[in-house]
Amino acid sequence: MGRSAIIVGSGAGGSVAAWALATAGYRVLILEKGRNLLPGLGTTGPIGSLFGNDEVKAGRFFENQDIVLEPRTARSQSEAEQGVARSFVGDVNTLPTVVGGGTVHWDAKTPRFWRQDFKGLSLYGPVPDANVADWPLTYDELAPFYDEVEQRLGVQGDVAQMPAATLAQAPRSQPFPMPPNPPMYGGTLLAEGARRLGFTAYPFPMAVNSTAYDGRPRCNSCGFCSGYGCPINARGGAAVSFLHHALLAGARLEPRAFVYRVNASRSRVTGVSFIDESGRQRRVDADVVILGASAIETARLLLLSGLGNGSGQLGRNLMFHFFTIAGGVFNEDVHSWRGPSTTFTIDDFVGPVQGAAAAAAGLPYLKGGICEVGGTLLLLGEAQTFAAIPNSWGKQHKDLMRSGLIRRHVAGLSMVGEDMPQLANRVDLDPDVRDVYGFPVPRITHSAHRFEIAASTYFGPQLAAVCQAAPGALAAFVLPVATLTEATGPGGPFAGIASTAHIMGTARMGDDPDTSVVDAFGRAHELDNLYVADGSVFVSSGGFNPTLTIMALSLRMARHLTGA
Amino acid sequence: MPAGVGRRAFLKAAGALGLLALVPRRRLEALVASAPGPGQDGRFLTAHELDTLRAVTARFVPGAPDDPDPGALEAGVAEAIDLLLAAFTFEPPLIHAGGPFSDRAGATHDDFADFVPLDAHAELGWRIRIEGSLGMPQREFAGPVTGLQEIYRSGLAHLDERSQQAFGVDFKDAPGPAQDLLLSDQTDGDLQTFVGAALANTLEAMYGPPEYGANRDLVGWGYSRWPGDLQPRGSTDAEVSTPGPDTGSITGALLDDLQRFLPALGGRRASRTQFWLGRSGIPRS
Repeated sequence: MGRSAIIVGSGAGGSVAAWALATAGYRVLILEKGRNLLPGLGTTGPIGSLFGNDEVKAGRFFENQDIVLEPRTARSQSEAEQGVARSFVGDVNTLPTVVGGGTVHWDAKTPRFWRQDFKGLSLYGPVPDANVADWPLTYDELAPFYDEVEQRLGVQGDVAQMPAATLAQAPRSQPFPMPPNPPMYGGTLLAEGARRLGFTAYPFPMAVNSTAYDGRPRCNSCGFCSGYGCPINARGGAAVSFLHHALLAGARLEPRAFVYRVNASRSRVTGVSFIDESGRQRRVDADVVILGASAIETARLLLLSGLGNGSGQLGRNLMFHFFTIAGGVFNEDVHSWRGPSTTFTIDDFVGPVQGAAAAAAGLPYLKGGICEVGGTLLLLGEAQTFAAIPNSWGKQHKDLMRSGLIRRHVAGLSMVGEDMPQLANRVDLDPDVRDVYGFPVPRITHSAHRFEIAASTYFGPQLAAVCQAAPGALAAFVLPVATLTEATGPGGPFAGIASTAHIMGTARMGDDPDTSVVDAFGRAHELDNLYVADGSVFVSSGGFNPTLTIMALSLRMARHLTGA
Repeated sequence: MPAGVGRRAFLKAAGALGLLALVPRRRLEALVASAPGPGQDGRFLTAHELDTLRAVTARFVPGAPDDPDPGALEAGVAEAIDLLLAAFTFEPPLIHAGGPFSDRAGATHDDFADFVPLDAHAELGWRIRIEGSLGMPQREFAGPVTGLQEIYRSGLAHLDERSQQAFGVDFKDAPGPAQDLLLSDQTDGDLQTFVGAALANTLEAMYGPPEYGANRDLVGWGYSRWPGDLQPRGSTDAEVSTPGPDTGSITGALLDDLQRFLPALGGRRASRTQFWLGRSGIPRS
């Protein structure tokens, strides 16, 4: 008999580990809290989809964790200092709860982290009031795993169009498996605006099929992309690219299995306890336990289990990303919804930028992030936006819907701003609120660091300038959404903590057991056979969509386990 | 699903997985055809409540004579909300339309009309959301919840009460501007709780897929010039990469409007007290 592994969560980290272990002879059991909405997954038949071009369903907790059953609570750092238990109960940073996790409806953008992201402390020094550290590994150690994940996932891109600075920071040894999708029109206008200002927009690497790949069809640009499950599985992801093959290799998947405790005996874990689909409490043992439940749920599970927190760092250093949005308004119908959300990116705002703006904020440097170029809202999203001010319904609302002002005439930019890790930004167990299973829900304490606000203030006008410089732009705006959220607090009109869907940092990796939770391979310092395979392990958040890096780290961990 | 994969193969695959059973039934046409008319009881709401809700939704999305294009009445919005409130009188419940395709963009079968069954976990969430916790311990693990049914029932009654006080007639019989006055009273918190739910559900019904019971004759996608769901046909490369047909006349007034609504672009999230909301769009007031 080979070795056995239990994997908690079937998202980006869990599914990659499942595939790597199952194909290496491990007996793998994946416990997933959500349902399977991809009929045929793991069978020799075709993989289907119960998703559709349906904005209503997407808003009805089809694949997302139902906040009635499993709410999360939130408060700001200052509320925590004042002893406020929580100021918000509801949806904090949407946790997809479904087979395949967030990659079932992800935007599928797959930038790599840069060399500098792994060595922030040694390259640029400490940041006041932040917990900056180096990762215990380098870009070069991770690069082969980036390569392999890109191949299996099916990533499109064009190395020839990538800026030299990007390739210097994230060198590539191979081309992308597929060429880029057709460029979205609004994005091409903003890309030209960027070029006029001396910036470089280039085709965004993404796990979207521009040609048939791995038995899945070419993307046909229906437009219901980020936030929507793909009806034709033209988008790669944890489920279709990894879990499917893991199941074919003999891994077992148990959906609707809520793991509430990791069981341990001295320095080893023995397995997990969970509640199954029928509500029965069960226990299962294995040689290895791997947690890939998300940076919020993994931290919560370890806290519920009373494990892995010898450093006091568990749950801390929670990072989200700090989005800044800008947009250009065009008289033309630029239909920035038609395509895979966005097809261009700009890396010129990643930073670091040293100088007056940073010094004015009392900071050694500023960093922004990658910039998604040329997106907008779909119809219902636009209708909801135009209804967002009290009493804005009626004929005026209908007139705006006729104009299609946002849908057809705005092309947006969205900068994925890097978050600083802070000890006080954390996940812990809410002292009062329980979920449907009877367990304390995760409580999120979060406030932005002045680093993020200063960076958004610094880069925001540059984003707006790109929009204004685009051919045919009538007007441009910048919208520091995260700053607005910050200013109004968790219970304020910007409802809740920034909903970025990027969650990182609650079980950071490091070499020193006194200052980190897991080692460079994701293994818990205090437990010989417990591993973490999700965004929890991130030491810094980078200015990049995190999923490809989660997958590469998980693959590296799994290969370490199998000795391959 | 990949091109060339027929529905039969798809269903077979679904069955093989044994996790979800699709019930292939065309019943939306039947439901819409048998929708209650004015003065008739709805599936959850009484005749009077349904008539009152029609009047409310017609202020949110007006048609003739206030607007040249069809509005909520023509789209069947109130009837669709009544269906949502009665979702659990159908099997499977009318919560999540099926997938992957409707029959509007090249597929021969309307999968959307085959609603996805809820499993026990999802059903509990939606029963709490629609029916409320009703004092049942298994629904009150995080405290009592007022369901949508009660929010509508008490909200509609409250509207009549306010209308009688102010104008001496039921809400549905008050003139349009008087109805607007009541609906926009931001000092009445109970009323705005109802307005928040009813407006959110109105927009879903008006601009969402017709399988949810409204957007009849696709009127919501007509004046908004929206192609709706595009799978499996999708877009052509030329449609993606060249300007669309709807060159606008973006005026200064429109730009001012955009400025007003910009802050909402960041998205709003549902809270425990606004559990009927999806992911964005409606303010807590």
